[in-house]
Amino acid sequence: MPRPTPRTITFTIDGSEVQAPENAMLVDAAKHGDVEIPVFCYEPKLGAPVGACRMCLVEIEGIPKLQTGCSTPVKDGMVVHTSSPRVKVAQEAVVEFLLINHPLDCPVCDKGGECPLQDIAFGWGAGASRFVEPKRHFVKPLALSEKIAIDRERCILCYRCVRFSQEISEDYQLVLAERGAHSYIATFDGAPYEAPFSGNIVELCPVGALTSRDYRFRARPWDVEDAGTLCTLCPSQCNVSLTIRDERVMRVLARDNPDVDDGWLCDRGRFAYPALAEGRVSEPLIRDGGELRPVSWERALDEAAGHLARAAGGGTRVGALAGGGATNEEGMALARLMRETLGSPHLDSRVAGALPLELHRALAEPSLQAKVPDLEFAHAVLVLDCDPIADAPILDLRLRKGARRHGTKLVRAGREQLLDEAQRSELVEQLRAAGEEVVALWHERLSAGADGEAAVRALLDLAATLKLSDTEGAGLLEIPTHANGRGLREAGVLPDDDGLDSGSIVEAFVSGELSCLYLLGVDSPVSGDGTIIAHAPFLTDALREHADVVFPAEAYPEKEGTVTHPDGTAQRVRRAVRHLGEIRDERQVLEELAIRIGAGVPA
Amino acid sequence: MTPKLRQEIEAKMALYPDRHSATLPALEAAQRVYGWCSPQALEEVAEAMDVTPAYLESVATFYDMLETEPAGRHSIYVCTNISCSLLGADELFRSIADAAGDDPEFNVRPFECLGACDIAPIASVDGVYVGPLSTEDVPQLLEDIRCERPVLPNKQLVKRPCADPGASA
Amino acid sequence: MKLLFENIDEPGLATREVYERRGGYESLRKALAMEPEAVLAELEASGLRGRGGAGFAMGKKVSFLPKGSIEKYLVCNADESEPGTFKDRELMQKSPHMLIEGIVIASYAAGASRSFIYIRGEYVQQADILDAALVQARAAGYVGEDILGSGHSLSLVVHRGAGAYICGEETGLLDSLEGKRGNPRLKPPFPANQGLYQGPTLINNVETLATVPAIIRIGGEGYAKLGTDTSKGTKLVSVSGHVKRPGNYEIELGVPSREIVYGLAGGLSEGREVKCWFPGGSSSPVLTKDDLDLPYDFDSMAKAGSMLGSGAIIVVDDSTPILDVALKVAKFYAHESCGKCTPCREGTNWTVKMLERIETGEATPMDLEIMASVQEHIIGNCLCVLGDAMAMPIGSMIAKFRDEFERHIEQVRAAHAPAAGAPALTGALA
Repeated sequence: MPRPTPRTITFTIDGSEVQAPENAMLVDAAKHGDVEIPVFCYEPKLGAPVGACRMCLVEIEGIPKLQTGCSTPVKDGMVVHTSSPRVKVAQEAVVEFLLINHPLDCPVCDKGGECPLQDIAFGWGAGASRFVEPKRHFVKPLALSEKIAIDRERCILCYRCVRFSQEISEDYQLVLAERGAHSYIATFDGAPYEAPFSGNIVELCPVGALTSRDYRFRARPWDVEDAGTLCTLCPSQCNVSLTIRDERVMRVLARDNPDVDDGWLCDRGRFAYPALAEGRVSEPLIRDGGELRPVSWERALDEAAGHLARAAGGGTRVGALAGGGATNEEGMALARLMRETLGSPHLDSRVAGALPLELHRALAEPSLQAKVPDLEFAHAVLVLDCDPIADAPILDLRLRKGARRHGTKLVRAGREQLLDEAQRSELVEQLRAAGEEVVALWHERLSAGADGEAAVRALLDLAATLKLSDTEGAGLLEIPTHANGRGLREAGVLPDDDGLDSGSIVEAFVSGELSCLYLLGVDSPVSGDGTIIAHAPFLTDALREHADVVFPAEAYPEKEGTVTHPDGTAQRVRRAVRHLGEIRDERQVLEELAIRIGAGVPA
Repeated sequence: MTPKLRQEIEAKMALYPDRHSATLPALEAAQRVYGWCSPQALEEVAEAMDVTPAYLESVATFYDMLETEPAGRHSIYVCTNISCSLLGADELFRSIADAAGDDPEFNVRPFECLGACDIAPIASVDGVYVGPLSTEDVPQLLEDIRCERPVLPNKQLVKRPCADPGASA
Repeated sequence: MKLLFENIDEPGLATREVYERRGGYESLRKALAMEPEAVLAELEASGLRGRGGAGFAMGKKVSFLPKGSIEKYLVCNADESEPGTFKDRELMQKSPHMLIEGIVIASYAAGASRSFIYIRGEYVQQADILDAALVQARAAGYVGEDILGSGHSLSLVVHRGAGAYICGEETGLLDSLEGKRGNPRLKPPFPANQGLYQGPTLINNVETLATVPAIIRIGGEGYAKLGTDTSKGTKLVSVSGHVKRPGNYEIELGVPSREIVYGLAGGLSEGREVKCWFPGGSSSPVLTKDDLDLPYDFDSMAKAGSMLGSGAIIVVDDSTPILDVALKVAKFYAHESCGKCTPCREGTNWTVKMLERIETGEATPMDLEIMASVQEHIIGNCLCVLGDAMAMPIGSMIAKFRDEFERHIEQVRAAHAPAAGAPALTGALA
């Protein structure tokens, strides 16, 4: 589908000639001339402008009435005034109107200090109000959901939150009730607003009407620092900005990256952070007298190195599994430890299936790679054996966006349809009918099971039939099971030709063929007579019962490194807070083990 | 939901290229059955129309004729807008409201211009326009409703000739 | 000359038989025998301006629709809700086939294949009458597939609203017809390009469409001979308030307003004079008795600082306090504001509160300044015209009856002032 490639035009704003992309809305075009036009309801992420708040009124020569800058596309030669006397009167009027029912309780409002209403009232308001009548009142604050509080008195009815619910997440639970000055944001019969992306409305709210209940009264904007990193709780790898106070994550905000997340976050990514600080393993543990007990790093590293060296001494008796948010660097360190130090070919980062390397190479063929924005502009997307909302939530929003704004056709199919030749041809026809640009979004689980390999071959066959590798904007996009599944594979966390794949590693450990199992970012899948060494953020029951050495793992805000997005783009994970307790950099732990084993640890 | 109501809603949806267009007719039909757009009614209509109940609540609270609180079976809308109020509509409304008292059968509401200022002051009784009304008409009006008779037959709008003297010539 | 009200009270005119006997549906036959472009040319030649309130040239509006085989819609705006307006009600109730005939002809000229009559929910009886007439029209082949063998097809649905003034605004109407809250849309895009279901849509008022058969019958040029240069044809006027014979009258545009108020509607009761009058519904700025000799047409009303609007004259006599009128008007628009845009939502609400303070004696003359300035801040700054619909008449009342407002403020304040001997406020600053 054609993507916007606007030409550059010249227009005049407040007396200066400015170049801007043609048809950009005036509020965006103005930024090219360092002119700010104030807005409340305008938010391009939410789709077409609605022109409701009227804050962005500007004067355009040749048009008698003031126009909304949010909805007027800039044209070549346009002459715009944003601070003429007429515009100033209108701006001051709108600020005055907005404040007549706003409680002005800024000193106790969480939004204070980072509030667009405050900023705009300061920058564009008259500084005084002539309103002396009683303001409207609501019961406040109410729990809109377990996570979000709503203060209806502060609401300026900008429509952003309801537009999000109706046009972005499309859950249509959040609505406007009543009419006129009595309007308020509501849910059906007062039910809680529970939806996978509900937290975005807190960030969209330009006033303190919607606040995060976890964050309420926890910090003021001048108490905190922002730290940009990635959320590695799932393969979406959304870009986030963490709000940090005293080395603690206070909240998680979206950090707009159109190639990854489009500026949205799922509720898990947004609200899971308290769990990243509580109940964590914060020091090394080793099994002693049947129980895991805290020990010094020296002791734990020696113990682990000893286990590994002893197991490796017997030939190829160590296996390793990696996953979760383990970084590329950690993956490489693990691969070196296994291959070079321990001489073991048994390592894997895949959960399902054991595709031959040639298939992995075919799937990773550069011309066959689809990017996230391709999901939005493709003529059709084949959603294959996956449930985006569960597998990589943020992609669900991208698919909805494509379907809603660009008419992208969504075709859902399972592996049966792919494997059956007749059904596959039907699928091909269906996709071809929509257009040439087709993206197949599929999940790693497609490669699982006895016919997993056949399914992947069928997928490659479908891609060849549709000529996806020759078509710009078309291709394949795999959602791996682990957040950095693609990165770990590419870092070499795959079995060698004579190595065991993940399923076989587990079997071999149970049968005793492998005597030591090294786990990086994955929970213990089994028990066995052998030794389990694990990096873990939490002590699961399985670890508590079976692990012999536990290294405390870093939560993602503590990590430094890179991960690889499912579409192949490398992304940087940056440390936002210092390590909890005794936690150490996990890559260094892996390297330290290699050094100790290489130096010949006491057996 | 009664099969009859479901059928009616489905028939309404079939009239439009987009089923959402049947929202007002569907809510109106549900209100006829349930007496008001109760949460239960909204949930059932939502199910029949494949929309969320929140969407219906949002629509229902926007329109004056859709009741989102329990209401009496007989609606008496008394126009209290400008032309009617110039001719005593506010007093008329109070008189009807007082006479109806707390009889749960009645839903007496002051209403915006009903579009019959030629017979001001007027009321719409279950959709039937009557006027010009005075406070003296009130007992008869309520009695007619209680007895399920045609309300004030001599004052019904549909029976009035056009005011334009040249019209019927 | 009566075009719309000719035979209007003939018994049974609402039935197809009587309507046909009076020449009904002849214009449709005539139009279908012409090319659509020729029908459009007649509409343009007639100079007919929209009768809903905005007064935009009907033929031009039709010509704005894109050509070609794309699906187009025609929507008849029968949401008649402007206070004081009740002309469409009388037309639909008594001559429903005239409206249906007009819709079919207009749809032929515009190339529309689906049409809707959006009628306000309160008009229960009129909607029932339209539904019954539609059944007859369909049975006779005037509506439906291949109308009278012309190849033109049109579906028509009578859609009932549920009580919201804003649905008379064309884009609010479209949202409502799509099953949503009746919030007006941002324009552009205009309905002619992106209207109902995002398709090209022609929206016209009942009276406008009902006039179409007459135009086809007497020809565009014949119609244009009626009325004035810029306000052609006849117009239904709803007269109400303090007049002896309130009702609908069909007049030729350009007659003196006095003739309508005192002639047709019988004037005021003995001893009373006109204090003010709304020439085009409650959203038109008020005029005074000095303006009664103005010709009643689009341009004269505009020149006098008001508008012809929907053609609804509301007469207020000199016994009525202007404050009562202002409060009624402001409360109505505050009640009907959809709430989407700031100046309308907050401005109408604030104006009501200010007027109430004047009423209860809590205001000072300075509040009049504030109120006047708030009206100015609303006008021209809203998403649709509803805010202006309050601010213009309220602004005109403050401008024209300032003395009376001030007198009222002083009188009520005096009445509420502390009685002599009561302790006055004193303090360090006193």
